Amino acid sequence: MRAYARARPAFAVIALVAGTVLWAALPASGAGPGSRAVLIVASLCGALTVARLLTDPAASGAGGLRAGPGAGFGRRLWTSVRAIPWAEGTTVAVLGLEALHPSRPWHTVVLGVAMIGFLLALHLAETDAGPAVLRPQLPLLAAGLGLAVLSVGAAALPAAGQGSGWLAAIAAVAALLVAGLALPV
Amino acid sequence: MLTAGPQRTVQVRWRLSGLARSLVTLALAALAIAVITRRTEFAGLAAPALLVLIPRQSSRPDAVGVRLAEGASRLTEGEQGTVLARIAGHDQGTTRLRLHPAAWILAGPAAPGADGWHRLPFRAERWGLRPIGTLEVILNDRWRLAEARLLVGLPQVTCLPQPARLDSLVVLGKLSARLGEHAARSPGEGIEFAGIREFVPGDRQRRINWPATTRRGTIQLNTFAAERAQVTVILLDLRFDVGPPGLSTADLAVRAAAGLAAAYLAARDRVGLISFGRQLRWISPAGGRRQADRIMNMIAIDSGDGEPLAAVSRLPQAALPPGALIIVVSPLLSLRLVESLRELRERGFATIVIDVLCAEPDVGSGLIRSRDRAAARLARRLWRMEQDAIRFSLRELGIPVVWWDGRSGLDETLAPYTRRVLVNRA
Repeated sequence: MRAYARARPAFAVIALVAGTVLWAALPASGAGPGSRAVLIVASLCGALTVARLLTDPAASGAGGLRAGPGAGFGRRLWTSVRAIPWAEGTTVAVLGLEALHPSRPWHTVVLGVAMIGFLLALHLAETDAGPAVLRPQLPLLAAGLGLAVLSVGAAALPAAGQGSGWLAAIAAVAALLVAGLALPV
Repeated sequence: MLTAGPQRTVQVRWRLSGLARSLVTLALAALAIAVITRRTEFAGLAAPALLVLIPRQSSRPDAVGVRLAEGASRLTEGEQGTVLARIAGHDQGTTRLRLHPAAWILAGPAAPGADGWHRLPFRAERWGLRPIGTLEVILNDRWRLAEARLLVGLPQVTCLPQPARLDSLVVLGKLSARLGEHAARSPGEGIEFAGIREFVPGDRQRRINWPATTRRGTIQLNTFAAERAQVTVILLDLRFDVGPPGLSTADLAVRAAAGLAAAYLAARDRVGLISFGRQLRWISPAGGRRQADRIMNMIAIDSGDGEPLAAVSRLPQAALPPGALIIVVSPLLSLRLVESLRELRERGFATIVIDVLCAEPDVGSGLIRSRDRAAARLARRLWRMEQDAIRFSLRELGIPVVWWDGRSGLDETLAPYTRRVLVNRA
């Protein structure tokens, strides 16, 4: 019953992680070399993200005294595997898979929306929280999606390929902003 | 270790939450791909994550107040307890609490109450003085981008053994002079009918048996049995503990001893306890609620305040008043205890042994050669014969030995001795 209660909010995560991996992998024919390996890595990371979510680290604390040495080794191994940030691995792998395909701006932005949804759903499932806790972030998410749509328009411009200089400058500033937001705790 | 009491201030160290880490990864990876592949749409993909990260620098408390309330410090095996915790000084964000249970503690889900107190249920699965575990407090800011984790050690809880069920008591033929609830052989002022006799001047008229008077032609009087208390001493043998944890000989012995003590004290008898473990500890016989608490504490907690077994030559006289019923709960693995039982019988004490041996030595389980396995079988057979011999010698001395498996109540085990009085020679 408790496992079912934990699994219920995880359904959204499972659907979103499977959807993003599939979306980034399609179409399989047009992908560049190495896409199959990246697809395998993305699928593995996604599966372990879901497995990490569905297993409760506190549940193994009490009843473990009657378990044998094999079970103890398995538990330690799984604790080590759980410590790896599989969600971040999934994110990087899915973006890499998308980058291996030819340019398709709308497809990429839809993938970005799905990725944000996956990360938010995963956070809600991990913290046993409802969607209402994300209400303060709705305006920012809406503004971000607006920028993403603008980027699709920019990508569609005929001179977009020649503007790589300003794109690099904006990306560097944005990266510095991200690092600045993340580092001072 | 945080004990129950006033609120304590705990410093908080904030760090990126899991959501913030994922968003940073998404933004940096998308920007890197945008630069490397010169594809603008990847920069746009980073935009929502980047914007969501902006409010992370909002104000957060540097310290929060943690308060634990006094919960039940004594539980019985399988009984549910609750840890009450309150976190103050963090009103903007969310607070989650999680109990990381210690061994033999089962934790339930935390439930925040409307009064601001978080309730964390737990259940102690085995008797003894047990640490509950660690309380993990997870704080999130309003934007869920920063997270702080506090670990708070919780106090210990005394888990009393689940008393074995016992409704019928073993009663001696000769009881002490103290008033009690057991019908004695001598006539007295009790309520159990003993017989009739002829009226003598001074007898109460209300006790006249009119039907017998009519039949015999002389005034006949009802007589009643006197009601006396029994002195019972429980000898708890914890010298050796074998068997699976939770169902070991020590587990069975303490549950049986707890059941015996509770049943005899409920019958207003005087009950004493001798604990024969690493040390020899005892409580002289007495009655009442306080004595029940003392006995349960001695059973559940090894305080280490007894006398070393090597320094004790015989069982303490003060704990063994003449005419007491001695109930021994033991796996009978200690030859020294067996010698003590013989000595008790020689001193005239009525003694009964509840055998709680529920395991055999693990001999030969890993052996491969048939010759070794045969030797192991022989060793196990010798061990069984030795155990049978110990029990046989006790029965020959007049000490009944009954076996209890810990699953059923003690009534079935002691039934042959609860239906008739046990004769003591003292």
